[in-house]
Amino acid sequence: MSRYKKFIDKSLVALLFFLTLSLNNQALAADGEALFKANCANCHKPDVDYTGPALKGWSKRVPSQEWVYKWVANPAQMIASDAYAKSLFEKWKPTVMTAFSNLKKEDIDAILKYVDDYTPPAPATAAAGGAAPESDNSLMFGILTLVLAVVAFILLQVNSNLRKLSDEKEGIHRGEPVPFYRNKTYLMAAVLVLFAFGGYKTISGAIGLGRMKNYQPVQPIYYSHKVHAGVNQISCLYCHGGAQDSKHANIPSVNVCMNCHKGIKEYKGDAIVREDGTQVDGTAEIKKLYSYAGWNPDTKSYNPDNNMDGVPDGAQPIPWVKIHNLPDHVYFNHSQHVKVGKQQCQTCHGNIQEMPEVYQFAELSMGWCINCHRESKVDFYNKESGEGNKFYSIYEKFHTDLKNHKMDSVTVEKIGGTECQKCHY
Amino acid sequence: MKKITTISVLALMAGIILVSCDNKRQPGKIYMPDMAYSRAYETYAERDSNVFTANPALRGSSKIFYNNTPVAGTIKRGELFPYTLTDDSVGYAKSASVPNPIASMTDAEMSEAGRLFNINCAICHGEKAQGNGPISTSGKIGGIANLTLDNYVKMADGTMFHSITYGKNLMGSYASQLDRKQRWMIVKYIRTLQPKAAAAVPATDNTQKATK
Repeated sequence: MSRYKKFIDKSLVALLFFLTLSLNNQALAADGEALFKANCANCHKPDVDYTGPALKGWSKRVPSQEWVYKWVANPAQMIASDAYAKSLFEKWKPTVMTAFSNLKKEDIDAILKYVDDYTPPAPATAAAGGAAPESDNSLMFGILTLVLAVVAFILLQVNSNLRKLSDEKEGIHRGEPVPFYRNKTYLMAAVLVLFAFGGYKTISGAIGLGRMKNYQPVQPIYYSHKVHAGVNQISCLYCHGGAQDSKHANIPSVNVCMNCHKGIKEYKGDAIVREDGTQVDGTAEIKKLYSYAGWNPDTKSYNPDNNMDGVPDGAQPIPWVKIHNLPDHVYFNHSQHVKVGKQQCQTCHGNIQEMPEVYQFAELSMGWCINCHRESKVDFYNKESGEGNKFYSIYEKFHTDLKNHKMDSVTVEKIGGTECQKCHY
Repeated sequence: MKKITTISVLALMAGIILVSCDNKRQPGKIYMPDMAYSRAYETYAERDSNVFTANPALRGSSKIFYNNTPVAGTIKRGELFPYTLTDDSVGYAKSASVPNPIASMTDAEMSEAGRLFNINCAICHGEKAQGNGPISTSGKIGGIANLTLDNYVKMADGTMFHSITYGKNLMGSYASQLDRKQRWMIVKYIRTLQPKAAAAVPATDNTQKATK
């Protein structure tokens, strides 16, 4: 027994020894990955060109492994002294690689091993099937109503036929029955229905005249708010910063687009599909932006301004189509709502971050404005705690009413938000 | 009888006509165009190309030159004086000597600076300025600076302001999104996210304890 135990002990120790060895190996490889991700991944990818060149296959390009050590330690010096380094700089300028003097030779070896062994992960298969189309019940109800109406009509006919038969049996003679299309009751009913339907449509159509709910013009560039504000989580105010400072939520100028699109040349996200089923070529849309901006993605620079008009040659503003139009007789100020009223953009513009193409979400009618003014509470000043907007400290009556619990909050309406001349002057 | 029929048919037709204008690609009709469209020039309203021109070459011709940019040399009331260093290596080198005109900020100003940072900068640089914002972590743009690194801790306020004003490498100019004061405020805010300079960190006495 004890002999066996000894044997088992021995083999266990051996097993543990080999396990540690193999784990160690793994740790080295993982180190390369961790080091790559911590130091290089910001500008390099193993297999494709990024801000810097792809690193895989480095050994076929660089003069020697020794060269790599020197380069990583001080790229600027190498550019000045080494021919291959200079050619690299010419290709990738104006970006110069940051010096990583903290990386030891072993670290660099581990990184080089990692990039050489790197195989791109298999692309995830596209999610099968879109969302089920939303069923609209109104058509079904319409058909049902029609069927019931036909059944009712047939029953009425049957009823009159039966009465005719029973009358004949009992010998009561009645005049020839009037056909239904000349029956005054039917005709009257039909006219009434038509009148009600026509009247309803006329009035709702007349109210809708001048309102542009759901207006969704075709824009010069297929710009998806879903990709920018939704997937990439860019704040609305990054591009439309005017909303907090001025009357207008500005349409961003082209340089704001170029802040990111100098670096982002291709669209690689989920497919964007138009309503008619065709797919949007995101990369082509970015190319349109480049032509508006006068940017040359190959040389990574703006076109020269040879015609001296202050912008790169060929550059012109993007003719975006304004969607939300208020008539001139209404005053609306964005900063008043965004900065002071602390309203979310989505309150009036809908879930912009989920719209591939923006449409007018709200009615922008007066009733719609007034309803919100009746319901929204202002950031009323609290005299005891000092919280809230100090502007409201002058509303003496409301302060006493709040104190005596005659009212619990102050709405926009209470401070004059439904007065005509607040918006019409 | 006949009258009612005529009226109802007319009403139906009017209704159909009104409803049938419902094309979402078109802005639709309005009742009173002269009350809806401003005679005065409004932002983003179309300018009459017979009257106005944005082409400087046509300045002084029969058309009125107007291109939305402020008159050269004008300063908004209450705004800081213009930053005069140029966007080149000379200006970049000189920028280190430009002091931050904002000496100290109140809590409210600091939280405003933080808000502006989160809107304009954090999308790439991350809320903690570690170079890990959504655009960076998703791998869309590479080479985003981790502002908590030593070389950015040592970077002068003026140089940082210079880079925000004119852009650096892949980063674009933020002069159109942030005014001068806001840019200086953001520089101040970035300082609060950075670790204190290495020299300022008091040496820990762990070694002493170990020897004892």
